[in-house]
Amino acid sequence: MRRKENRSISAALAAATCSLLGNGIAAAVDAQEEPAWDFNTSLLYYGEDSDRVKDFSVSAIARRMFVDDRFLALGLTVDSLTGATPSGAIRQDVAQTFTRPSGDAAYAVPAGVLPLDDTFLDTRVAITAGWQQPVGEKSLINVGASASREYDYTHIGVNAKFARDFNKRNTTLSAGIAFSMDSLDPVGGAPTPFTPMLDVGDTRNRIGDQDKDVLDVILGVTQVVSRNLIVQANYSYSMSDGYLTDPYKVLSLVDGTTGDTLVRTLTPGVDGPSHQFLFENRPDERTKHSIYGQAKYYVNGKVLDASYRYMTDDWEIDSHTVDLRYRIPFGNDQYLEPHLRFYAQSEAEFYKLSIRDDQPLPSFASADYRLGDFEAITAGVKYGWKTRDDNEMSVRAEWYGQTGSIPVGQILGNQAGRDNYPDLNAIIVQFGYRF
Amino acid sequence: MNDGVWRKAFLIAWLIAFSGLASADVPAGGRLDLAEYQGKVVVLDFWASWCVPCRRSFPWLNEMTGKYADAGLVVIGVNVDKEPASATEFLKQYPATFRIHYDNDGVLAKEFGVQAMPSSFVIGRDGAIKEHHLGFKVKRQEKYEAVIVAQLQQEKVE
Amino acid sequence: MNRTIGIAFVAMMLCGGCASMGIEPWERDVLAKDEMQLTTDEIEAATDDHIYFSKEASSGGRGFGGGGCGCN
Repeated sequence: MRRKENRSISAALAAATCSLLGNGIAAAVDAQEEPAWDFNTSLLYYGEDSDRVKDFSVSAIARRMFVDDRFLALGLTVDSLTGATPSGAIRQDVAQTFTRPSGDAAYAVPAGVLPLDDTFLDTRVAITAGWQQPVGEKSLINVGASASREYDYTHIGVNAKFARDFNKRNTTLSAGIAFSMDSLDPVGGAPTPFTPMLDVGDTRNRIGDQDKDVLDVILGVTQVVSRNLIVQANYSYSMSDGYLTDPYKVLSLVDGTTGDTLVRTLTPGVDGPSHQFLFENRPDERTKHSIYGQAKYYVNGKVLDASYRYMTDDWEIDSHTVDLRYRIPFGNDQYLEPHLRFYAQSEAEFYKLSIRDDQPLPSFASADYRLGDFEAITAGVKYGWKTRDDNEMSVRAEWYGQTGSIPVGQILGNQAGRDNYPDLNAIIVQFGYRF
Repeated sequence: MNDGVWRKAFLIAWLIAFSGLASADVPAGGRLDLAEYQGKVVVLDFWASWCVPCRRSFPWLNEMTGKYADAGLVVIGVNVDKEPASATEFLKQYPATFRIHYDNDGVLAKEFGVQAMPSSFVIGRDGAIKEHHLGFKVKRQEKYEAVIVAQLQQEKVE
Repeated sequence: MNRTIGIAFVAMMLCGGCASMGIEPWERDVLAKDEMQLTTDEIEAATDDHIYFSKEASSGGRGFGGGGCGCN
């Protein structure tokens, strides 16, 4: 699976953890009853437009409460992915052919079409486990582990967090740490960076399996401001080390003046790339810093949830995220929750639309649109209700769209007339059931 | 020393009476006058419908009432919900065999300096606060009970 | 980088400096509600984290701990 399966600490913790204090998991039992299991399940569909990525996902978190606020949480997620993703090559006014990452076959892209690599059928299984308990009167500790597997990617990780209350539990300081060890076993073996895409059957430029380690640290403070307002501020640090390149992504090698991809002479009887493409190359280290702030405000039964995150890293990517949710209850235990999210990022220092042949090769380069300069909007609504036996159900539908732009200096010659950035349009539909 | 204790008991009773006046239209509860429990061991337990550990404490408080009421134990559950109606819902699911006093404005909670929910104060036969614990841990039930038994064994102090 | 850390540090100190801010323990009825927890639906939060991690260059940030009924 091409996606980077780096389980960030927030994903691991969010899945493995329940908030100790006063959330809905507290089963209505009296002291004599056995502690109850609590289940949170979901069905998700994520679908990008035309031939691009589609994902079906089933998730479940089972939580069991033990005496005096001790919790065990077990999570399982199964994803089934299909569809194609931009390979990093730019569109041309002529048809192009590419060798599949496996090296076993070739595929063709018509003239004027954005090259998509559709070797994407994959199933991913992820599991998490977490244990949480109070420590003394005012603290709590949570430890967990996570693992995931897909045909070309394996992840294992551990995480721990500690939180302590001060000031009559109005202030909480927290610290968390997560460590991941991931390994990639790309189809056909990872290619040597910056080597050309070769003919079908030619596997000279392969370097085999690769590893990646990620360390995440998070420090946070939560503050009760008033009876109706609570705020949180976090600082996160993330350090990735190892193979950070996408083994399936390429850049088009273009003429410095015309901007057209250089043609390649095909051997008769042999399938292979029609033009010249180089496999991308990213640094083997990445350090990220984020600051995050969130406020939840209760006003007349409605809840406004607003958050902002700023991220900066040593790949020179900066990003801003604003997330707004507004929960409106009505009727008998029903609610509507509109959701709006704005995201903007600047391109990585080594992001390139294409590589020009009239200049020396840069140290690093990638045409992966996810490292580019783009803005994204998510807009959706969630509807929740209680079933006859008092369990919670919900459904949400959202639209997610990205629009990117290429830095002017990178557009060469004939590239100017084309729509170069692979804009994204996706819908997200998720059903949830808690019982 | 005895004078100080009496003074404190009267002060508390006076304040409680006022809080009782403020919440005049409440379900059974009304005014609380601690002085009327002089000579008994009183457990004053501050609880609310939104407090999850309170659900675990109620069966235990019922058990204590059943076991030691004859020996002189009085359990009073002080409800600090903003709306008494919320307490009524809770009590339907977790009925109490002990008295419930409504402190919806939190006056009594403030007087006792409640630091966390739930909070339990054990008041001895002499009217002074002997022990208090924050929160309710099922694993500490025996310790809580031992404190009550120890206070019940104290002779009434003149 | 240093500027970011500096801003984060100041923000933390400001928040920590509000040591006397807050409410009494018996006033946490609203904060105890499910919908007032910092993460209301953890599967939805994990799903979003995963989607945006796959499609964008940023990830995480969300924290944990605090809020709620403050009991026990």
